Amino acid sequence: MTEAIAEVAHDRPPAGILRWLTTTSHKDLGILYMSFGGIMFFIGGAFIMAVRAELLFPGLQWLSPGMYNQLFTLHALIMVFGAIMPFATGLNNYLIPLMIGAPDMALPRVNNWGFWILPFAAILLLIPFFLQFSGIGSGASGLGWVMHNTSLDLQSGIGIDFAIFTIHLLGISSLTGAINVVVTVLNMRAPGMTLMKMPLFVWAWLITAFMLILVIPVFSAAATMLLTDRHFGTHFFDAANGGDPILLQHLIWFFGHPEVYIVLLPAWGLIPHILATFSRKPVFGYRAQVYALWTICFLSFIVWSHHMLTSGLPLAAEVYFMYSTMAISVPTAVLVFCWLGAIWRGAMTFETPMLFALGFVAHFGMGALTGMILPDVAANAQYHNSYVIVSHFHYTFFGGGIFGMMAALYYWLPKFTGRMFDEKLGRLHFWLTVIFFNMTFIPQWFAGLDGMPRHVADFALRFSAMNLISSVGAFLLGLSQLLLVYTVVRCVRGGAKATGQVWEGAQGLEFTLPSPPPYHTFETPPAVK
Amino acid sequence: MMNEDDAMKGLGVINEHGKRERRTVRLVVALMLFVAVIYAATFIKLPLWLPALK
Repeated sequence: MTEAIAEVAHDRPPAGILRWLTTTSHKDLGILYMSFGGIMFFIGGAFIMAVRAELLFPGLQWLSPGMYNQLFTLHALIMVFGAIMPFATGLNNYLIPLMIGAPDMALPRVNNWGFWILPFAAILLLIPFFLQFSGIGSGASGLGWVMHNTSLDLQSGIGIDFAIFTIHLLGISSLTGAINVVVTVLNMRAPGMTLMKMPLFVWAWLITAFMLILVIPVFSAAATMLLTDRHFGTHFFDAANGGDPILLQHLIWFFGHPEVYIVLLPAWGLIPHILATFSRKPVFGYRAQVYALWTICFLSFIVWSHHMLTSGLPLAAEVYFMYSTMAISVPTAVLVFCWLGAIWRGAMTFETPMLFALGFVAHFGMGALTGMILPDVAANAQYHNSYVIVSHFHYTFFGGGIFGMMAALYYWLPKFTGRMFDEKLGRLHFWLTVIFFNMTFIPQWFAGLDGMPRHVADFALRFSAMNLISSVGAFLLGLSQLLLVYTVVRCVRGGAKATGQVWEGAQGLEFTLPSPPPYHTFETPPAVK
Repeated sequence: MMNEDDAMKGLGVINEHGKRERRTVRLVVALMLFVAVIYAATFIKLPLWLPALK
C-alpha cells in the first residue's frame, strides 16, 4: 500500500510552490529557466528605457553620468547573463532529453541547484543599485558588461564587488548547466541515436557547453584577480605597481568573444529545424552545419583581441587578429547558405515561428556583415567606441539571439503548454518588433558613422535627429514586447488544444509525444532508426 | 515465475545502468578538473602566452 502511494506520488509532481522549489524534472526546470529569462528581459529592458530617455534630446541630463553608467551596465549584464543565456538554458533543459530520447538530464539535482543560484545572483547584482537611493553605497557597477569600460579608479564602493560576486555565482550556474549538457548528450542518448543523428539544436548546445567550460573559468579567474586587486593588495592589473591593465582586457575578451557565440549558437542550432518545418523539407546540409559550428567554436577562441585593436597591440598581432576574425565569416556563410538552402523551393508557410526565423536570418545577417568591417585595423580606429559598435552588436545579440529565442518560443510553446497561441497576435508581435527594432538601431549606426561616441550621457547637437528616432523606436520596441506576454498568457489560459505533432512539417522525437509531454518521458528508451 | 532469459535480460539492464553511472561520474570529474586547471592557469596570464602579444 505504502509503495503504491509512493509510486503515485513519484508519477506526479508535488502541488504548489513546493513543486517549483524542489523539482528535478528537466521540463519544470526548463520552464523555470525560461520564465526567469523572460522576467529579466523586461527588467533589463526597463533599465535601457531610462538610458534612451536621457538620450532623447541633447542637454537633458536628468540622469547623472554615474547613474547613466550603472543603467547601461546593468542592462547589458542582465540581457546577456540574465535573459538570453537562461532562456537558451531553459530550452536545452526542456528539449535536449526529449530530442535524444533520454528520461531526464544526467544530473537532475545539480540542475535544480544550477537554476536556484540564478535568482540570488540577480538580487546580488541589483541590490547596490537600489541601496544607493537609501544613501547606502555608491550604486551598482558602471564599468560596462566587460568590466573595463573606464578606469577602475573612477568607481569604488560595493557595486563592483557585488558584480564580481554575481559573476562567480553565474559562473557556477553556467558550469553546472554546461557539464550537465555534455554528460547528458554523451551518455544518455537512446539506442540508435548516434551523434550524427542528433538534432542540430543538440549539437549546437553540446558545442556551447564545451565553450562555457573553457571560458567561464577564465572570466571567473579575471573577476577573482580584480577582487584581490581591490581588497587584498595584489597588483595584477595595477600599472603603478608593475601590473598590466591590458591583461584585464585580454582575459575578459578571451571570455567575451566566445561569449558572443555562446549566446548565438543555441539560436543557430534551432533555426534550421524551424526553417525546415515550415518549408516542408528536411534540414539542409546537416553535416556541413555541424562542421561549421565546430569551426566557429574553434575560431572564437583565437580572435579575442579584435576587441582591443586600439589598445596598442603590436602590428603583427593586429594583422593576425584582423585576418583570423575575418576567417569566421567562412563557416558563418556556410550556415547562412544552409539556412537559405532549407527554404529554397520549399512549400513555405509563414506562421509566427517561421517569421521570427526569417527575421533572425535577415537581422543576424546584417549583424554579421557589419561585423566583417569592424576587425579591419584601419577602419576599427574610426569605429572603436562609437555607436557603430552599439548598433552592430544589437543586430547580432537582438537580431540574432533574441529573434532566435522568440522563434523557438513560438515554435515549441504549443509543445510546452499543450495549447496553440493566437497566430494573429504572434504575427503582429513580429512585425512590430521588426519595425521598432530597426527604428532603434539603424539611426545608431548612422550616428556612429558620424562620430557619436558610446558610453556618454550627452551628445552634440548634430546627433539629435538620429537619437530622437532611436529613443522613440526603443520605447515602442519595449512596449511591443508586452504583446508577447499577452500572447503567452492567453495561450496558456485558453488557447486551442495542440496536437502532439503541433506543426504539419515538424520532425523530431519531441513531436512524437503528446503536447504537453507527460511528467515522465522515455523511461523506456525509444528506438531510433 | 521469472525464467532464465528474463533474469539475464534484467541483469543486462542493471549492468548497463551501472556502466552508464560510472561513465557519468568519470566524465563529471574530468570536466571539473579541466575547469579547475583553466581557472588556475588564468592566474599565470593565459592569453599572454602568445609571444606576439607581448
